[in-house]
Amino acid sequence: MNTQFSRSAAIVGAAEATEIGYLKDPKTAIQLHIEAIKAVSDQTGIPISSIDGIFSAGWSSELAEHLGIHPKYIDTTQVGGCSFEMHVHHAMAAIYAGIIDVALISHGQNGYSMRKVGGSGPRRGLGNDNSPASQMTSAYGLSGAPSNYSHAMTRYNYVYGTTPEDFAHVAKVTRDWATLNPRAVMHSKETHKAGGPITIEDVQSARIVSWPLTLLHCCLVTDHGGAVLLTRPEIARSLKTRPVWVAGAGESMGHSNMLEMEDFTATSAMASSAAAYEMAGMGPDDMEMALVYDSFTVTAAITMEMLGLAPRGQGYRLWKDGDAAPGGRLPINTNGGGLSFNHSGMYGMQLLIEAYRQLSGTAEDGINGLPGKQTGASTCIVNGTGGSLSTTGTLVLVAD
Amino acid sequence: MAYDKPIPRPSPHTMPFWEGTKNGKLMLPRCTHCNRVHWYPRHICPFCHSTALEWIEGSGEGRLHTFAVQHRAFGGWAEEIPFVTAYIDLDEGDRMLTVLRGVDPENPESIRIGSRVKVEFEQADNDIHIPFWRVVEEGA
Ligand SMILES: [Zn+2]
Repeated sequence: MNTQFSRSAAIVGAAEATEIGYLKDPKTAIQLHIEAIKAVSDQTGIPISSIDGIFSAGWSSELAEHLGIHPKYIDTTQVGGCSFEMHVHHAMAAIYAGIIDVALISHGQNGYSMRKVGGSGPRRGLGNDNSPASQMTSAYGLSGAPSNYSHAMTRYNYVYGTTPEDFAHVAKVTRDWATLNPRAVMHSKETHKAGGPITIEDVQSARIVSWPLTLLHCCLVTDHGGAVLLTRPEIARSLKTRPVWVAGAGESMGHSNMLEMEDFTATSAMASSAAAYEMAGMGPDDMEMALVYDSFTVTAAITMEMLGLAPRGQGYRLWKDGDAAPGGRLPINTNGGGLSFNHSGMYGMQLLIEAYRQLSGTAEDGINGLPGKQTGASTCIVNGTGGSLSTTGTLVLVAD
Repeated sequence: MAYDKPIPRPSPHTMPFWEGTKNGKLMLPRCTHCNRVHWYPRHICPFCHSTALEWIEGSGEGRLHTFAVQHRAFGGWAEEIPFVTAYIDLDEGDRMLTVLRGVDPENPESIRIGSRVKVEFEQADNDIHIPFWRVVEEGA
């Protein structure tokens, strides 16, 4: 049993880089990291010099060197977009074990700017370029995540009799959330020429990227920097910010290469969420909102099933029936998601930041008379999915 | 015209597979302890963890597990869009990725999961023949 870890650490702050999205003036990944770290230090009042554990999905020693710190715990776990949920899990264990007091989890990725200035954009393939798995897949013209995930939607529709239109509701409702978030890339016509509300027809008539996925079934590729700080309860209670408690955490994987994905309609989020629920002493019925990785519409829908929040084959209904929407029973992806808010290649940090804002009551208010982006939820399940529906990290977070 | 798409580079461990393709054979790794075939080639059986592995000649037949139609691609493949990629359930067990032939990429609704498929090989250069799969009989 892992229940003794529950609530042994809190997220005490979460901040983003000064500018995120499609940056007019390109920035490097390290600059996006540093802007966010500076901001979260200011937000919490925790000096950067007090950070004694560093966690990032890259070369954490280089990041620590930029900051001029000498941490006691250095973690570079990089297994795709869910790495950051796993970092919370690892940081919590290190805090519980008494190794560190203050953990920094940091993210900087210039998925958009890299076209101009180079650097760390969307993750490259793992491991050796000439691995056996690579030899057996590289000949067949796949070109990144959309070209893989599309196979999962085809299989899902075959097994459950669903259609691409069913999944289009995920994109439409997530866009509705983005219209409430002024920092969302697709917030409005002011933020992007294709921004603002969309219809199911818009989603289905968009250019096909990898059938059955049209462009609007796919996440954005933007710039983002984000940072969160975790600490032990005694310190968390002494700060000016509200703590958000890590009630449960779990991680798992089904495979690394999609070639080894046993069931294209399921992910390891079933296992990682089971571990997180067990640690928390809570279950799906206790969750008041959900933040799940929507690399593609199909990812989010399958994930909700794996988290026990929808029956198998019916995940999309949460969006189609309005439960997930602003004002709905179970708000999902309240920031506008990777689909319409921001997605830099790895999206796990964006999930953590929105979870902290929602549960600490600091999410922006609604605009234009629509229901507020601040949901008032006191519990949230957060699930990141990395690779090709490969790795997952799940957190159960609760308000103070 | 010369083959203008990515060509895999064999490593010592996978050489029996690539040697096989030159002779029109689909060689598969099988565990001599549990008798299960796995794909891609490993140094250890992923099912029972025996390291006593052998290469067998596969039937080159299987069924279509799932597919997608690629409308965006790079290099030589960009000239071929749209094309169908697919995962094949081998009759011997486990699964392969391929570009699927004998189907209409412009009409994905006509492609049937479960269809019987058969392997064929295309010569890419002097050393490498690449396996592709073709639908030979529509499934249920
Ligand atoms: Zn075996």
